[in-house]
Amino acid sequence: MQTRILAATTAGLLASVMGFSTALAQEDQAGQDYVGGDEVTVLMGFKPGGGSDALAQLVQPFLADEMGVNFVNQYQPGAVGAIAWTRLAKQIEPDGETISITNTPMLMTNYIMNEAITYDISELTPIANIVTDPGVVVVAKDSPYKNFDDLINAAKENPGTVTVGNSGVGGDDWFSTIILSKEAGVEFQTVPFQGDGPSWTAAMGGKIDASFNNVGITYPQIEAGNLRALAVFAEERLPSLPDVPTAKELGYDVVAGSSRGYSAPAGLSEEARQQLANGLQRVTEDPEFQKAAADRAMNIDFMGPEKYTAYLQDQEQRFIEVWDEIKDEVQGSGS
Amino acid sequence: MTESFLLAGLLNVFDPANLLAIVAGTLIGIVVGSMPGLSATMAIALLLPLTFAMPPETGISMLAALYLSAMYGGSIAAILLRTPGTPAAAATVMDGYPMAMKGKAGQALGISLTASLIGGVISSIVLLTFAPLLGSLALHFGPVELFAVAVLGITIVGSLSSGAMIAGLFSGVLGLLIATIGMDPTTGTPRFTFGELNLFSGVPFTVALIGLFSIPQAIRLILQGDANKDAAVSSIADRMLPRFKEFRALLPNIVRSGGIGVMTGLIPGTGGDTACWFAYNEAKRFARNKHEFGTGCPAGIAAPEAANNAVVGGALVPTIALGIPGSSSTAVLLGAFMVHGILPGPTLMTDHAEITYTLLWAVLFANIALFIVGLLFTRLCVSVTKVPNRVVAPIIVVLAVVGSFALNNSYFDIMLMLVFGMIGFAFDEFKIPTAPLVIGLILGPILDASLQQSMLIGQGSWMIFLENPISAVLLAIALFSILQATPIFGLAKKLRYRSSGPRNL
Repeated sequence: MQTRILAATTAGLLASVMGFSTALAQEDQAGQDYVGGDEVTVLMGFKPGGGSDALAQLVQPFLADEMGVNFVNQYQPGAVGAIAWTRLAKQIEPDGETISITNTPMLMTNYIMNEAITYDISELTPIANIVTDPGVVVVAKDSPYKNFDDLINAAKENPGTVTVGNSGVGGDDWFSTIILSKEAGVEFQTVPFQGDGPSWTAAMGGKIDASFNNVGITYPQIEAGNLRALAVFAEERLPSLPDVPTAKELGYDVVAGSSRGYSAPAGLSEEARQQLANGLQRVTEDPEFQKAAADRAMNIDFMGPEKYTAYLQDQEQRFIEVWDEIKDEVQGSGS
Repeated sequence: MTESFLLAGLLNVFDPANLLAIVAGTLIGIVVGSMPGLSATMAIALLLPLTFAMPPETGISMLAALYLSAMYGGSIAAILLRTPGTPAAAATVMDGYPMAMKGKAGQALGISLTASLIGGVISSIVLLTFAPLLGSLALHFGPVELFAVAVLGITIVGSLSSGAMIAGLFSGVLGLLIATIGMDPTTGTPRFTFGELNLFSGVPFTVALIGLFSIPQAIRLILQGDANKDAAVSSIADRMLPRFKEFRALLPNIVRSGGIGVMTGLIPGTGGDTACWFAYNEAKRFARNKHEFGTGCPAGIAAPEAANNAVVGGALVPTIALGIPGSSSTAVLLGAFMVHGILPGPTLMTDHAEITYTLLWAVLFANIALFIVGLLFTRLCVSVTKVPNRVVAPIIVVLAVVGSFALNNSYFDIMLMLVFGMIGFAFDEFKIPTAPLVIGLILGPILDASLQQSMLIGQGSWMIFLENPISAVLLAIALFSILQATPIFGLAKKLRYRSSGPRNL
């Protein structure tokens, strides 16, 4: 036993000295030692207690077991994550010692909508996506809008009078409102709030007509019957909300949500990237993790390095198109 | 059904492990609360991973105790160092520090502790009995109502700057102006940021607060030297707990402030930082000895301290009943529920009732634990006043730097804190009150966002504020409050006296 520990330690030492560990076969399941060292800093762009933190607290203990690496969170909230992501893109060495949780759409909308924010996704190495929380349209339980068509028709009859809340400008709910308005050819009066909570609370209290949010956040209230879900912006109906139609099946091609995954600065070695992605994949396949995620209403949506990169690029393209069309309207109306 | 959960929760609290967790949470809370820059929210977030291994009710009890005791801890630094340990203790500085300067630091802390206990117990009782009933109240506060609350809050500037109205208004307006820095809440356009990414989310309020209070105090201590040390420091020997007569005189004020705290906590988006000023203002409005406020008046300590502890219970009401966090600290507490696999929401009172009721009892017992631990701990703290100025001043600066960095792990925030320190020092030198600036900073973002949201909801019509009953009443009170601070009110009084005068003669 002692010799084995010794061997493992020596192997670890060797690996970190040489910078790679391909030749060092080991018996334990975790496979090779991680090339980025035995402690990885996870840069967090949001405050402790938020959605990103919840993901980190859930994933990282599993990942630490899986990879034999210690994960340490460093919180640098501000500018909707842009402070942390700018640092990740511009200042952090791509040695695999520092990675970050990256959220869509904020990761892209930050720099698309603000000239002062200068990083972009080409300066990052996407590693893997972990969860996607699909968008949902909710109304108060006593709302006159019984179904999605009621809401759309009301907006058609009286353009600009149906008030629709969202979690904030540049967020996924805000974008899905715009995309849906275009798809359905209607005009909503959008009301941005500071976060999801205030938005669905306002809908629940009848202060606004409807709220565009995410399933994971509003699910307990939908379950309890305080909010009524009119439609989800997913490809298919969700197992947790089998009676709620997708916007797609109602004839509106809107698939939206907020995704959270891990990324590193550009130039991360392919080896480190693969090791992290493989570790994350094994975590998401662990039944214990799946149960813990389900308990927290997190919708696992694993995408490996290539798929996640393509996803981010595709989303970026879509946001640029939408923003180009509406930017004058949004920034001009703020007076 | 509810009764059985009430009992089960009570029995849970008496579990030795849970009692220990409450005491431990209380101790940590007092220490964290007394450090400027370390807020209750942050402490809960930092302690959260430690509670993973505990059973949910133990972990959550500990976090609740921490949250509650941090509210009291904030007043220790406010009274002894003239630097609020948490934003919720900012109003305690007004009378707490002058009282400590008179050599009554122990008494000031004793009043704070007693007021905290009663405020906390009032709110726990409200929480245990009315949580499901009051929960829906939070839903009545949308952007329109929140705007009216903020307007009412702004009128406090009038009473905080009595004697120096122009200077006070200047200070308040500057606070509101600084609060507009950052991204516009409805368009996302950066305002007054000059391309500086660190300003995109606005000026972090706690950073500004640390700078405004701690740096001028450090400078003042250094300038003072140790010359008049004997006059300034208090003897630890002074009695801590208020005498019964004193206590009875303060009780109506404490109960009123506790009520204000519960209400402010209930409203989503306002917390201890707002409640302490509301309570202070009302205590002054109702007091006969208005001129004594700001010079070390016991009522000026009791009011904010009762209020900020009462906020805890108030903020937990919508959190528990509906899953809507009433303050940033309860938002993190909700996160703690999630980590323990409990989805915050209406099911807290049904599916997870046993854990929830344990939490409610834990809040009540944490008040008592806080009182006992506080008595012991405070004796130690008072000895701070014995430490020479040349030692205390640099320590304040170090705490301020560490605290402002720790908040967001940001070097920029340290510079920002120092800038606000300079503003605070200049204000002191020019005899401009700092408190209105703080009010502006707290309420500015709420005013900004709620006004814009209300205008969007009301299709651009200002009438929306008068058509809504809650906001109309609040705005009317605000108008009355403004008139009270102007010469018009005095004039009206005089006229009435004159017209009725002759008849009496």
